[in-house]
Amino acid sequence: MTRVLSTLLSHYRRHPGQLIMLLLGLWVASALWSGIQAINATARDSYARADALFDTQLDQLERRDGMPFSRAEYHALRQAGLPVSPMLKGEVVTQDGTRLTLIGIDPLTLSNDNALAQANTSASLSDFLTPPWQTRVAPDALEALGITRENASAATPTLADGKTLPPLVLAPALPPDTLIMDIAAAARLLESGDQLTRIVAAPGALTEAPPGLTLTRATTLASPGQLTESFHLNLTALGLLAWVVGLFIVQAALGLALEQRLGMLRTLRVLGVSGRSLVLALSLELLLLGLIGALAGIASGVWLARLLLPDVAATLGSLYGAGIGQELNLPWHYWVGGLAVSLGGLLLAGSGVLWRAARLNMLKLGQMQAWRSGYRRQLSLMSIGGAFAMGVALALYVWLRFQSPGDGLVTGFTLVAALLLASALWLPPFLALLLKALTHLARRRPLIHWALADMQLQLPRLSLAMMALLIALATNLGVGSMVGGFRLTFLDWLDQRLVAPLYLNAPAEQYADIDAWLADRPEVFERLLTRRSDATLQAATTPEGSRSIGTPIELYGITPGESLTPHWPLLATQQDRSSAWAAFSDGAIFINEQLATAENLSPGDRLTLNAPGANETLTIAAIYPDYGNPSGQVLMASPQLAARFDAPPSSMGLVLSDEADVDTLRATLLERFDLGSDALSDQREIKRIATEIFERTFTITRALNALTLAVAALALLASLLTQARSRRQQLAPLWALGVPRAQLAQLNLAQLSGAALATGLLAIPLGIAITWGLVAIINVAAFGWRLPLYLFPGEMAVTLATAVGVALLAAALPTLRFWRASPRALLAEEANQ
Amino acid sequence: MLEFHQVHKTYTTPQGPLNVLNDVSLRLAAGESLALMGESGSGKSTLLHLAAGLDLPDQGTVSFENQNVASLPEPTRAKLRREQLGLVFQQFHLVPSLTVIDNLRLQARLAKRDNVAWTDHLIERLGLHGMEKRYPEQLSGGQQQRLAIGRALAPRPPLLLADEPTGNLDETTAGEVLELLLSLVRETQCALLIVTHSPQVAAPLDRCLRLSHGHLLEAAL
Ligand SMILES: Nc1ncnc2c1ncn2[C@@H]1O[C@H](COP(=O)(O)OP(=O)(O)OP(=O)(O)O)[C@@H](O)[C@H]1O
Ligand SMILES: [Mg+2]
Repeated sequence: MTRVLSTLLSHYRRHPGQLIMLLLGLWVASALWSGIQAINATARDSYARADALFDTQLDQLERRDGMPFSRAEYHALRQAGLPVSPMLKGEVVTQDGTRLTLIGIDPLTLSNDNALAQANTSASLSDFLTPPWQTRVAPDALEALGITRENASAATPTLADGKTLPPLVLAPALPPDTLIMDIAAAARLLESGDQLTRIVAAPGALTEAPPGLTLTRATTLASPGQLTESFHLNLTALGLLAWVVGLFIVQAALGLALEQRLGMLRTLRVLGVSGRSLVLALSLELLLLGLIGALAGIASGVWLARLLLPDVAATLGSLYGAGIGQELNLPWHYWVGGLAVSLGGLLLAGSGVLWRAARLNMLKLGQMQAWRSGYRRQLSLMSIGGAFAMGVALALYVWLRFQSPGDGLVTGFTLVAALLLASALWLPPFLALLLKALTHLARRRPLIHWALADMQLQLPRLSLAMMALLIALATNLGVGSMVGGFRLTFLDWLDQRLVAPLYLNAPAEQYADIDAWLADRPEVFERLLTRRSDATLQAATTPEGSRSIGTPIELYGITPGESLTPHWPLLATQQDRSSAWAAFSDGAIFINEQLATAENLSPGDRLTLNAPGANETLTIAAIYPDYGNPSGQVLMASPQLAARFDAPPSSMGLVLSDEADVDTLRATLLERFDLGSDALSDQREIKRIATEIFERTFTITRALNALTLAVAALALLASLLTQARSRRQQLAPLWALGVPRAQLAQLNLAQLSGAALATGLLAIPLGIAITWGLVAIINVAAFGWRLPLYLFPGEMAVTLATAVGVALLAAALPTLRFWRASPRALLAEEANQ
Repeated sequence: MLEFHQVHKTYTTPQGPLNVLNDVSLRLAAGESLALMGESGSGKSTLLHLAAGLDLPDQGTVSFENQNVASLPEPTRAKLRREQLGLVFQQFHLVPSLTVIDNLRLQARLAKRDNVAWTDHLIERLGLHGMEKRYPEQLSGGQQQRLAIGRALAPRPPLLLADEPTGNLDETTAGEVLELLLSLVRETQCALLIVTHSPQVAAPLDRCLRLSHGHLLEAAL
């Protein structure tokens, strides 16, 4: 067996290029895949830690007026016999400027089955409760504190304000950016006097909220894991794509290595090696190469993940408020899984080779003729397979239409995948037909005729790489258009919402005075007061009847008027825009798209809302888009909101006349009402920040897309290089017949860029279909809102140019080699065959 | 029409320089036929490649119609091959992507001398009638070489260069193919330089030369 194996492997000594291609494909496939999985695993670990924290596992009490509790109020509740526990939450700044969340708890009253109890293994309770106290911290946070892991234990790092933390105790189960300590120690650090942020209770321990307080049940709080699910699914889909494209390279290299070793295999068979041991030896070879490629891939995947993690963390933080550790945290099954996926992929790519080796005919040489008809059969199989995949895509689409919105995330991705698969399978038959037709047309131009006919012959070996190129181009275009469309929509939407040039954020009790003062200022054209309050959507009355719901929502008040009303976008109204706004001013509500989607509501339905101060049933007058907001929102006119519920003012937009002196107004306001300098913000500044967050969100998507395209280019280069030799042998006789070398080189480039152009043309409608799938299906399923479909001719032109560019780039090296080879050597090469 | 004047050709090999042609001079008149014989490795193919402008001599000149081939730029040399030369190799060098008829007409089309009546006639003479739509790999070895000969003669070149055209065929087939080649050469009245091992091939030709240790000798048959 070792003899057979070493004979097989000796092939790569003569053709190191093939070995490199093979390993490269494996490496790329497993690097991208495992990189993304490393990010996902780390994020999941962070979510699990956050989930385990009190926020999502405890019922919470808050004051209706949003003010902090005092210790006295807490003691009163305890004395009334309620099983509550105090909590203090704040922020501390480390010396390097990092903000960490500080949570103070009282372990004696806190229920035991939470993260703290689990983190509380080594140290005794009294150390935690008594001075100098303890700081529980996750190892990820040590770097921000300027401490190494070795001397972390019992260290007392100093904060930016000069205070020192109680001695550290490592608690890996905690979220990466959180410090936990006894509430007394926390109060000292935060200088919060006898204030408490929150009062918590074990889930279900309280049957109802004590008077004057609101009770939020732990189960209604969405965990970051749920919110970010679609983001990770997205990443996984991209990783899968890169994996598939990488395997195209492997498949191409393996196919060639087998083809060139057919003679050797036959000889071995004739010499008495059984077919079974031949297949076994080939499998061993695959396993050996697979292990090398997969290990290298996983190592670089981890490196890649480390590189991308800060951006991912920023994205998730800004989109969903989910905290992700900056340090990779990889469980054992990550490593095993990465290896399994790489080897499984290799087996998938190599199964064809093994199959062919097993059925090797000892006598007959692989004849062109048989091969030609074999490829024809393969083409019709591809057409049928493509039709099948398309059928699956259509069926999924129909199925999705009957599905309640918000449920189709995985189905949506499967639909897009089926669409991609169908197009990829249809590509070779399409190219073959196109070439056949063109060959027929070009009969009078001998060289073009030859080039087209020759392309037909090259197609079988190029088709895999072309399929990879198609997929990469289409996803690039699809994702590019989606991001571009999102960007346009988002900026538009920001413009519509931020109509005032100046926004004021003041303490809630000051708004009345400020409003009165501003009312007399001639340069202040309109004052757009907003109010907000948390509420519960208790029930909905639709034409089908009433149902109780009970989800938490956000109640938001705006000031309808000349500046806001004409711009505010509405997706659906009961009658028309103007009557919707009229109803709105009279106390009707608008709801955001995500709420409408999630609860299946339409204008005209009536909602029962429970918010501090009242319980009201109101009519929906319209639905509006609310991009990027993960939660449901109900909109009311600010005066109506104030009249019905206790919703404190939250901000005020100032619409100014053209000649207003903004700087003077700002200065006067700040001075007169003794406001902090950050109380007034510029509309442009807000937009800039929002745009920045937006751009960062899509950094990874773009990076992964570009990588996929690079991999596809590599696949193309791989298949061109592996067949470069036989190509040169086909070109040499033409050269001998009197076709100048320069012309042959040009034809060679033209052939490939032509095929790539056709692929690019096909990628455009496919890309549009993908964009549609992303904005109309996946986005709705993931976020509950639908993006308008924008098409960008510029992006399409770039796609075509990329296709041709990639082809030219991949063809450059083989063509150059042909160009530089001595023609005599080309014929000699032929003679050696 | 073809003239070698004191031609030298040396290859660099890992074992040092290999002198293949040493002061070789040769003249071939229009319509004349010449057989070139010699041991394996004696440099016959090298000489033929030089004659076809596929390679250039280290010293001396190869001229075609009194033009020094080495002085021509590559595109002009390619044009010369396209329009003035027919080449037949031991390996048939057919274009696998083209059908029989397209292979046959390829060089004539490249030379812009495609003549339907002549190619139809050639097809008949080559015995390939009815196989026009086949691909090269669907022909027997003899048929493939006949097709290669037809392709070389389709533009009616003034000179046909053949390098062991029957080396890959069995004896009977080789005889048939050779006979066909010679009769077509007579029919088109082109000059012929043919590399062969077989005295029977050389016998009917105007002249026969032998390459030995880099030198060209007139050989008696
Ligand atoms: N590109 C090259 N580089 C180095 N040596 C070469 C090259 N081409 C040919 N040779 C050597 O030059 C010598 C002559 O080669 P050539 O092919 O002309 O011989 P030949 O007479 O045609 O032989 P055969 O009858 O076997 O075809 C041989 O020894 C060969 O090894
Ligand atoms: Mg030879």
